[in-house]
Amino acid sequence: MNEILNLLTGLAVGLNLLALGTSRLRLLIRAVAAQGVLLGLLPLLLEHGAMDWQLVFITIATVAGKGFIIPTLLHRAMRTANIARELEPFIGYISSLLLGAAATIAAVVIAQHLPLFPEHVGSLLVPGAIALILTGFILLIGRTKAISQVCGYLILENGIYLFGLLLIHATPMLVEFGILLDVTVGIFIIGIIVDRIQRAFDSLDTRKLTALHE
Amino acid sequence: MIPPFFFGSLACLCLAILSGRFPRLWLALVLSGAGCALISAAQVLGDAGNWAWEASFTLGCQTPQFLVDGISALFLVPVSVIGGLSAVYSREYWSDHHHPDSAPRGRSWSAALILGMILVLSLANGLHFLLAWEIFAISAYFLITLDNTAPETRKAGWLYLAASHAGTMILFAFFSAVAARTGSWALGPMRDQAALAPLFWLALCGFGVKAGLFPLHVWLPSAHANAPSHVSALMSAVAIKMGVYGIVRFSAWLPLPPGAGWVVLGLGAMSALLGIAFAMAQNDFKRLLAYCSVENIGIILTGLGLAILAMANGQAAWGRVALCGTLLHVWNHSLFKSLLFLGAGSVLHATGTRDMSRLGGLWRFLPWTASLFALGSAAVSGLPPLNGFVSEWMIYLGLIRAVAAKGPVSGAIVPSVIVLAAAGALALAAFAKAVAIIFLGAPRTRRTAPVQECGWGMRAPMLVLAGLMLWVGLFPAMALGPAAIAATAWNPGWSGNVDIPVFHLGSLHLLLACGLLAAAYVVLRKVSRNGLRDSLTWDCGYAAPTTHMQYTSGSFAGIVTRWFAWILRPARLVRKVRGQFPEKALYLERTPETVLEYCIHPLGRGVGLLAEGAKKMQHGRLHLYILYVFAGVVALGGMAFWGGM
Repeated sequence: MNEILNLLTGLAVGLNLLALGTSRLRLLIRAVAAQGVLLGLLPLLLEHGAMDWQLVFITIATVAGKGFIIPTLLHRAMRTANIARELEPFIGYISSLLLGAAATIAAVVIAQHLPLFPEHVGSLLVPGAIALILTGFILLIGRTKAISQVCGYLILENGIYLFGLLLIHATPMLVEFGILLDVTVGIFIIGIIVDRIQRAFDSLDTRKLTALHE
Repeated sequence: MIPPFFFGSLACLCLAILSGRFPRLWLALVLSGAGCALISAAQVLGDAGNWAWEASFTLGCQTPQFLVDGISALFLVPVSVIGGLSAVYSREYWSDHHHPDSAPRGRSWSAALILGMILVLSLANGLHFLLAWEIFAISAYFLITLDNTAPETRKAGWLYLAASHAGTMILFAFFSAVAARTGSWALGPMRDQAALAPLFWLALCGFGVKAGLFPLHVWLPSAHANAPSHVSALMSAVAIKMGVYGIVRFSAWLPLPPGAGWVVLGLGAMSALLGIAFAMAQNDFKRLLAYCSVENIGIILTGLGLAILAMANGQAAWGRVALCGTLLHVWNHSLFKSLLFLGAGSVLHATGTRDMSRLGGLWRFLPWTASLFALGSAAVSGLPPLNGFVSEWMIYLGLIRAVAAKGPVSGAIVPSVIVLAAAGALALAAFAKAVAIIFLGAPRTRRTAPVQECGWGMRAPMLVLAGLMLWVGLFPAMALGPAAIAATAWNPGWSGNVDIPVFHLGSLHLLLACGLLAAAYVVLRKVSRNGLRDSLTWDCGYAAPTTHMQYTSGSFAGIVTRWFAWILRPARLVRKVRGQFPEKALYLERTPETVLEYCIHPLGRGVGLLAEGAKKMQHGRLHLYILYVFAGVVALGGMAFWGGM
């Protein structure tokens, strides 16, 4: 069981590097979607005991939300805004990749020093979660197009979700549901905002938002 | 019989706040409210003893508690007397006819101010005390800025508000610390809890800001000078006494840290001397009066510091004398200072300027104002047979007995006697200057409008105040009784008769007053028999003297301001007389508010620069904002990580 878990987490972390290294928004969204699907499957593996219908339901909902609904919304926003590439990032792709690699190493190091439960020590869950959060921040800080930043935000959220899996026995499913709903609604709103930014500034470049400061 | 009067007074004042638009109704309500408060205070100071009352409901999770003991009642008397008289005065001074916009507002706020002060004096719950304190502080702000068209007034208002809130912040810390350590917001004697002793310093700072203690007085001169005069009278005579009340009250209730007596004594002596030095240097007569309040607060605190020392050393003999003098000086200062401010208001009303170098020769035009102002000046300078002398004499008596007792503290008290005596002499000089420059001599500028004496609406309150001053001066034994009761409330261990030869003082004062009256009668008869003769004074042989060649307020005070130049730091602009055919010469002098301009302003500019620098971080770049969040999260994580290890 644990090996499959580690494999999935490792794949998700690997997708980070794809997200950091690409300039094409379509690929970026797909990477995030794939990551969402991988992570959505994890609860099934973590639950050693009986498969209750709640767990199955939450897995289906997570996979559907992260893997299909949110990417569809983002694709639509991209089409309405009529852009396909991130052209002038704050932090270049090579530097982003190097930063991402450094963040992953840092995540492993930090995870070794954290006071964890013995059952979590061997797994990649904690370092993976930290790596995802750091990568999300790198994308948020380093990209200028609103859609790339949304993807960064999603990766950040995936990291938090992964961390939350540590508490899967303690957290009621209803809370997980709430989080998922929040994220979906958040993306929905961001999609609308992206459209508005596009109309107001003729661009999705968030740097132009400085025109709004006092 | 206290509750009906006390709650009646609160109800009347609440209604008065609402009836600012109806001047007559308002006046009737304020006067009856003040009268009821006075009656309940008189009952406590008479034989009724303390009055305590607890509500059966809660307000903000606390039960409202009222406690009027000797100390509260002693301070309630000036609040009600001066509150009522300034209300009468304001009818003519700040009339609807001249100030249609601000007069109703002013009436409502002054009722709120009096109500706030009565509540501050009577509430015995920390939370409600703070609420009342805020009502009082905020309504004073709106009264100071009543004439909000003048930028100077607005500035003075802001300064007052800032200083007042700084003080209130300290008081919040003080009351919550008391509540945290005693487990209850209810206030009362806490002498037995030694852990509370350091909190006295907080109370001293918080209340000291309101009282106008020397380094904390920065707001006081400009606020008192720019407020309408009836408000200045109320503020200077009563509002700053709330700070004194706080210090007196909590020095009675809290256990005192060692050295508290010395600190209060030292601060008092410093305030007395420096306050009057600043007063001496002022050109604006209302600022002069305001600095003189700093001096008198200093005198009051000197006496209080002495009483604390006496209590710490178990010396009832001189401690009680000093405390009675202190508490009586609270009354006396509120009487003569309000008379002086009302007189100053009358001068301002007649001439439209506060600048003494534009006044002069007003005695002939304003005989009532001038004689009442002169009487108040004599009292504030501590001249017998007036009330100022009585209380200052008692404080001196306490000091001298402390020195004569040859205890462990006597040697160190000698300097404070000297400082106080110096302050008294300077006060006489400052008020000789004020009266001489404003009322004597010839007018320094040509007046465009005729100067008119104030009407009876303004004169009557001043006459009442002068009458009360004479009453305290000539019959000090009657005023000593309440002060002794308040002193017993301050330290219940001190009871019995106070050893002050106050009856002899009263007889001497009566004799002196009769002598002065007789002398005045003789002089007046001689003058009326011989007639007045107009002629020049000795003019150094100069052929064509002008009215500009009189002493100015600056030249009058020149010697003293040079002694104190190290703290006054007067700014001078001089263009000397040069050449055979000299051009225009110039000599301008301005005395800054040193603490404000050399300490508070640089500090404020530093904070402003820091804030300006911090503004650069707000540039509107979303990525960097996220970076800030990231840095914050990492820092928090680091703190949790390293802190947790």
